[in-house]
Amino acid sequence: MFKSLLALALSLTLCSAISASELIEVKGKTLGRENHQFIYKDKNACKSCHVSGKKSTTDQACVDCHGTIDTIKIDPKNLVNSHANPHASVHYDTAISCIACHAEHEKKAPLCAECHRSWFKEM
Amino acid sequence: MRDRRSFLKFGAGVAIGSVAATIPAMASTNDCGPAIKWDETHDIIIIGSGFGGLSSAINIKRSGIKSVLVLEKMLQFGGNSAINGGWFAVPGNPIQVSEGVKDSPALLVQDQIAAGRGMASEEHLTAIANRALDAFNLCVDSGVRFREGFNMLVGGHSIARAVRTVDGTGGEITRNLYKVAKSEGVDLRNQQYVEDFIMENNKVIGLKVRRNFRYPDLTTGEIVFIKANKGVVVATGGFAMNKQLCKLLDPSIDPTMDCTNAKGATGEVTLTAMSHGALAVHMNMIQTGHWGSPDEGGFGWSNALLSITWHEGMVVSVLNGKRFMNERADRKYCSDRILANRYEDNSPAYPIAFFNYNDHPDDDRVVRALRDEMAWKMDSVEQMATKFNIDPKTLQESIDLHNKHVAERKDPLFDRVMDTAKHLAPPFVVSRIWPKVHYCMGGLKTDLGCRVIGSKNLEPMKNLYAVGEATGGVHGTTRLSSCACLEGLAGGFIVAETINSDNKV
Repeated sequence: MFKSLLALALSLTLCSAISASELIEVKGKTLGRENHQFIYKDKNACKSCHVSGKKSTTDQACVDCHGTIDTIKIDPKNLVNSHANPHASVHYDTAISCIACHAEHEKKAPLCAECHRSWFKEM
Repeated sequence: MRDRRSFLKFGAGVAIGSVAATIPAMASTNDCGPAIKWDETHDIIIIGSGFGGLSSAINIKRSGIKSVLVLEKMLQFGGNSAINGGWFAVPGNPIQVSEGVKDSPALLVQDQIAAGRGMASEEHLTAIANRALDAFNLCVDSGVRFREGFNMLVGGHSIARAVRTVDGTGGEITRNLYKVAKSEGVDLRNQQYVEDFIMENNKVIGLKVRRNFRYPDLTTGEIVFIKANKGVVVATGGFAMNKQLCKLLDPSIDPTMDCTNAKGATGEVTLTAMSHGALAVHMNMIQTGHWGSPDEGGFGWSNALLSITWHEGMVVSVLNGKRFMNERADRKYCSDRILANRYEDNSPAYPIAFFNYNDHPDDDRVVRALRDEMAWKMDSVEQMATKFNIDPKTLQESIDLHNKHVAERKDPLFDRVMDTAKHLAPPFVVSRIWPKVHYCMGGLKTDLGCRVIGSKNLEPMKNLYAVGEATGGVHGTTRLSSCACLEGLAGGFIVAETINSDNKV
């Protein structure tokens, strides 16, 4: 039930730009994404993503709500050039975790920016 | 958790990340009191998911071994291979055949032996070269596209034999092999950091793994023990990204040098294998390239851009506005001279390298370099002098002097061969240069069947295998370009046969 609620909330807030929702204080001093605010209202909020302890996580929760990388399209208008599409990367395609590029609690540049320095900004 | 905790004593006293501190005996079932509680069991565990790891996974699975697990420590699969340039040496490739070029594995090995300066292993190189067509076909059958009619002569080879992926990256190979491995039932997991091998005397029986590890924080994730009934394949690549280790092995590698590799190329599994008695060879043979740029990450566009500059352009020190080297000399000579450009505080004074923009306005090597701001179009000598903080008068004098040498087809300063040099006039394409660390020729010594050799008796260690850049003593002094892809992919075919024959005995 929680999952379907998440999915509903997300379908309302998804956007196609290479961008992330604003980083705001969501629980005490903890920063999180504005569109995830509803998650933080739950008393077991952390467990949504940190299943086995606070210091580890995978992208399972991301995929559960948002779907796999190949199903999330990025609007080409928002790309610096046609090669710069992290959701259709010639290096990784589907062989990559969401959290290689996306961060919930801090701003982060995508993995691609390690080499392609002028292509991406922190988000 | 309680069960696992009782085994954490294996790691007691072990400084995480400092593998030299591991004591092999502590991880052996013989000296540890209670038997290990394995969290799971597989037939084969492969560590690493680059060319070597993925080819091994597919080939081992296809050979009939049921449970094959691939452990990748990073968030992404493909290792350093995923950001490789997609050049692949294939003697006897279809383009050579259609063009009537005569080539063979033996001819490739001949070129590699010359580059190895007496330190290469002809037998290993031959075993690998003999699987080149198998490896090429594996790629094609897995959905990798190679450029039509494209078969190039690349550095050090005597003949055109390097094909290249359409996307210009080894990622086209790894991303497709990943999908094939997955569809054929290989269990591929990311965020899995191998902390230690579990040994039974000379035999590896499993791994201590930090599951859900978040690179590079070794306090993340949780420890699990995974049993490997039929063997462990080390396919972890090189250690060029491990500055501490590179410095210990080769003091000539300057700490200001960046590296072309993916961040995960740090070699701790090689060190773990060594701590359990594996023999490592040629560890100080670390390939560097003088063609790097400080203004991009990875291998980048610099090498391709400089293939124009070395011939048609010139290189100038920002310290005095003058040339300081023969732009067409070899890697070692150029590296040494470039690295000598230092400010008083010893920080790098990146030299500038430039050629005429108007000679190559539409060349892809130029277009992408300018687009990605690792090179700049400078419309005048003054503009260039200002941007790179050089005295404009001296810079103009250096260009004038060089142009005189170009006209005379003679370089009295550095004895450069001037047949391809061009009269230089703005606008220029300008980039900055600084050498980068690139490839590790050294690693675990294996027999011809990819079995890791033990240092105790120089015999193969039981159930421990290695493929690709993680191995050492194959190439000798210099690995030729387009041969890393071949080595990793071919290794997968060889190791699958070995594992099957070892398990028949």
